[in-house]
Amino acid sequence: MLTLLLILIPVLSALAVLITKNNSAKQVAMVGTLFELGLAVAVFISFEPNATQQFGFSYPWIASAGIMFAGGIDGISLLLVMLTAFLTPLIVLSTFRQPYKNASTFYALILFMQAALMGVFTAADAFLFYLFFEAALIPIYFLAAVWGGENRIKVTFKFFVYTIFGSLFMLVALVYLYFQTAGLSATVPHSSAITALYKVGLDAQKQGWIFWAFFVAFAIKMPIFPFHTWQPDTYTESPTPATMLLAGIMLKMGVYGVLRFLLPIAPLGMEAWSTTAIVLSVVGIVYGSIIAIQQRDIKRLVAYSSFAHVGLMAAGVFSQTLNGVQGALIQMIAHGINVVGLFFVIEIIFSRTKSRNIEQLGGITQRTPQLTVYFMILLLGSVALPLTNGFVGEFLLLSGVYEFNKWLGTVAGLTIILGAVYMLRLFQKAMFGGKSSLTEHFADLSLSERAVLLPLAIMVFWIGLYPNSFLKLTEPAVNNLLQMVHY
Amino acid sequence: MLSIILLSIFGIVVLFLGFQKSKNILLPATLLCIAIAFAANFVHWNDAPGLYFKEMLFENRLTMSFSAIVLLSAFLVVALTRGFADDEAAQPAEYYAIILFSLVGAIMMIGFDNLIMLFLGVEILSVSMYVLTGSDKRNLRSNEAALKYFLMGAFATGIMLFGIALLYGATGSFNLTDIRGYVGTNSFSISTLLYVGLLLVLIGMLFKVSAAPFHFWTPDVYDGAPTVFTAFMSTIVKTAGFAAIYRLLSGSFEGIYNFWWFTLAAITILTLVVGNITAVYQQSFKRMMAYSSISHAGYLLLSLTAMTAQTPDAIVFYSLAYSLATVSAFGVLMAVAREKSVQSHENAEDFEAFNGLGKRNPLLAFVLTVSMLSLAGIPLTAGFWGKFFIFGTIVERGNLIWMLIVAILMSAVGIYYYFKVIIATYMKDGETGALRVPPFYRIVLIVSTTLTLLFGLIPKLLS
Amino acid sequence: MLSDFGVIFLFIITAIAFIAVALTIARLVRPHRPNVEKLTTYESGEDPLGNANVQFNGRFYVIALIFVLFEVELVFLFPWATVFGQASLIAQTDGLWGWFALAEMAIFVGILALGLVYAWAKGYLDWVRPQPKLPAVKSSVPADLYGKVNKKYAQKTKSV
Repeated sequence: MLTLLLILIPVLSALAVLITKNNSAKQVAMVGTLFELGLAVAVFISFEPNATQQFGFSYPWIASAGIMFAGGIDGISLLLVMLTAFLTPLIVLSTFRQPYKNASTFYALILFMQAALMGVFTAADAFLFYLFFEAALIPIYFLAAVWGGENRIKVTFKFFVYTIFGSLFMLVALVYLYFQTAGLSATVPHSSAITALYKVGLDAQKQGWIFWAFFVAFAIKMPIFPFHTWQPDTYTESPTPATMLLAGIMLKMGVYGVLRFLLPIAPLGMEAWSTTAIVLSVVGIVYGSIIAIQQRDIKRLVAYSSFAHVGLMAAGVFSQTLNGVQGALIQMIAHGINVVGLFFVIEIIFSRTKSRNIEQLGGITQRTPQLTVYFMILLLGSVALPLTNGFVGEFLLLSGVYEFNKWLGTVAGLTIILGAVYMLRLFQKAMFGGKSSLTEHFADLSLSERAVLLPLAIMVFWIGLYPNSFLKLTEPAVNNLLQMVHY
Repeated sequence: MLSIILLSIFGIVVLFLGFQKSKNILLPATLLCIAIAFAANFVHWNDAPGLYFKEMLFENRLTMSFSAIVLLSAFLVVALTRGFADDEAAQPAEYYAIILFSLVGAIMMIGFDNLIMLFLGVEILSVSMYVLTGSDKRNLRSNEAALKYFLMGAFATGIMLFGIALLYGATGSFNLTDIRGYVGTNSFSISTLLYVGLLLVLIGMLFKVSAAPFHFWTPDVYDGAPTVFTAFMSTIVKTAGFAAIYRLLSGSFEGIYNFWWFTLAAITILTLVVGNITAVYQQSFKRMMAYSSISHAGYLLLSLTAMTAQTPDAIVFYSLAYSLATVSAFGVLMAVAREKSVQSHENAEDFEAFNGLGKRNPLLAFVLTVSMLSLAGIPLTAGFWGKFFIFGTIVERGNLIWMLIVAILMSAVGIYYYFKVIIATYMKDGETGALRVPPFYRIVLIVSTTLTLLFGLIPKLLS
Repeated sequence: MLSDFGVIFLFIITAIAFIAVALTIARLVRPHRPNVEKLTTYESGEDPLGNANVQFNGRFYVIALIFVLFEVELVFLFPWATVFGQASLIAQTDGLWGWFALAEMAIFVGILALGLVYAWAKGYLDWVRPQPKLPAVKSSVPADLYGKVNKKYAQKTKSV
């Protein structure tokens, strides 16, 4: 029941925001997201760390075909639900100083987005998952395409067509699997519950096809190397709240999808193709990092860094080891927090200097001790310094990949070195050095900006110092998952 | 079957209502007639399937569902005809009567049990459409469209009639059940005439639903006809046509599935590719919708090719979703073009007509967006479930997955041109100044959009 | 006994004989004064030679359509008549059959008659159509003023 509320509350608050006036929309949206956060915390506290689905709900949807409107939360879902519930109020709060035209529509779309994301992370029915997976695209598309930068129309269009195209393959795979499932009863020949899909034992060749159908869908979403071309442009052109949603939460839909569908449904397909997938992911890591080093636009730089990081997460998941999967989970949270923080810092810099060019910035540190500290914390989290959240995730991920294949693990390890290079370069060029005409009158953080960055910074250290508070929640679910993979 | 009789009588009544001084009564009267026919359609809902008129017509829940879709879309389209009577020389009573008569033809096509009835239904519907296409008498393009449609349509009907004659020659009967019996008992010695006849009938029918390569008339006719009749054509004719093809293939020729599936598969692929790819290059919204209607014919054909137990449900749902979305799309176009044509006659139906609509009239913009999303098959709209059910039938058939790949590629192409409309609506700047919409329009658009979203959330409303 | 085709053959022979007799008698009885008009091929009063692309009066089409209406009616009456009189059907239904068939035909003819009524009421049957309505112009200038002005200037030009 709580799960259903998690989906419904954002929808209701979105409707409430839609009917409020533009100038009070953000407050209403804030209240809605905080309420949602409270609910998520309640779920977090009462969650039993075992492998079962909890707080489930199930209603007939297309009952005669065995398709249910069903959801629930297990350890893996819980982390992502928490991430979504935690980041969305911060994203809303981050917009407080920035006036957006048609604000009520703007915030309503953010809330719809949140509802769809909650749906994706909690759906227990394959078709319900698909529905939310696609539905999440619509608000983010409009957010990016209406409120975005100059090239927004072309860029967001590419993004939309690309992702829809990928997920159509997933739809085919889902429908195919659905017809292989055993029915609930004599009158209901098939079932689309995710657990029913797990029980479909296909032969290796068919699993290979299923693997690729899912892989393309999720690889575009994450994105993994050859499917990433939509990503940097979309991140750059979107308004920052949309970029935060995209990078912070939405790309986790892809990783989550791999965990939820690809590993347990097509273990034989994984066996045949996981090396290919990891190689692609590792190529993405190196490629993204190298491009990030050369970027001048700081938003684009963070976009490429995000591409590199998600490559490592994907590699960890495809390694099918406990460390890899656990690392991916913790890194999803860590990356979500870091990347949202970094994009927010960039937005702060951009809103004051009207520039994102690394060459035109510099000398910001002198006037802004607070910004400098927060930026440094997030940045160190991002380059995986020990004691920060990034370290835990990347360490586990790398050990997972190393376990799978030494050489790949070694190459993937480059991510830490290269990450340090581009991130520290960013910090050095943008924050230190001589002042430019743009940065002369740089004001330090306002109250609302601090209110966004402080929780993020706390989380960076919390996860860095005591990751077990999250890992212990997911471990039963992950073990359960890996048992299915390795039989 | 009651609805056929009622609609025929109503047609005559409306015709004579035209002698009334005030033309204002015609629209509500027609709407009332269609509503009554809609209600009458469901009289036998709980009865066993039945044959009527000496085994000429057949009625079961499936045919009633199809008829209901046809009548519902007719209701919505007719409700959009307001402003018809403005033209002094127009004969609104005759047009409304023709619409009612054409519905008789559509329902006959849906429920025929005898090839003669199929022919009669097709002819009643087509002849009505020829007239309605040319109803904008002073517009050269409308005249051209009507003539083109008439010539091509007559040709196609001829081919179909020839096919029916050959089927009769092979089996000695016009009756679907008898033909089925012939196919079943003579499975090893089926006359060649039957194969040729079936192909010719199929060609005639595919022409009516504008499947490639028999689609060449569609863009010109859709473009030239008055928009309201374009909406009528692309919803009612298509639904009835597919119902008829389904009835023909499932009623008589399931035994020789191996003969016709490949032909149909080839036509399906061609239709999908031609419809979608050509739609990308259109500048005019109406022409784009014409090609999009071709592509939707392709999706429906996909399900016919699969011909599983789920096919009828899939076609019913898809037709409904498609009809609702199409009606609202054309409704918005009419509302926008009406305003625009006052200022300039050119380009009133191009994509640019929608520029800045999001600011000028948020309701219209929203309606248009939902309808485009539904046509593109994006979740939360009825169109998604339509595609979903269609794809389901193909997967169930098993060996046709390759067709699905083509269909998916083409869906992605489809998203491209449907989003051109959404982009124009929200992201391009156009004329400013609020756009006023008559209340009647608003109701129709809200109803169709609500239904689209409702079926998008709860597809099982229709069972 | 004659076969069915034999009956048809007899019909053909009778038809030819009938026409031949009629034409022969006519030839014997009628006066013989040919002129150019009379010798041309009969084509409903149109000139059979020349460009085929001539304009017809649009009303021909309406008349033709109404004609088709009754033509079809006639075609339907023949098969109906054979069924109407079938003794076995009448016996089976105790005479009710006749009434049923009659009522059906009455409905059919009634619908066609409604069509005729419609065409009649619309004025499509009148060959000489009512005069076109002159557009009424609302103007504060009285119509006869124009007449006066014309008259005045006509006189002026005469005097010059």
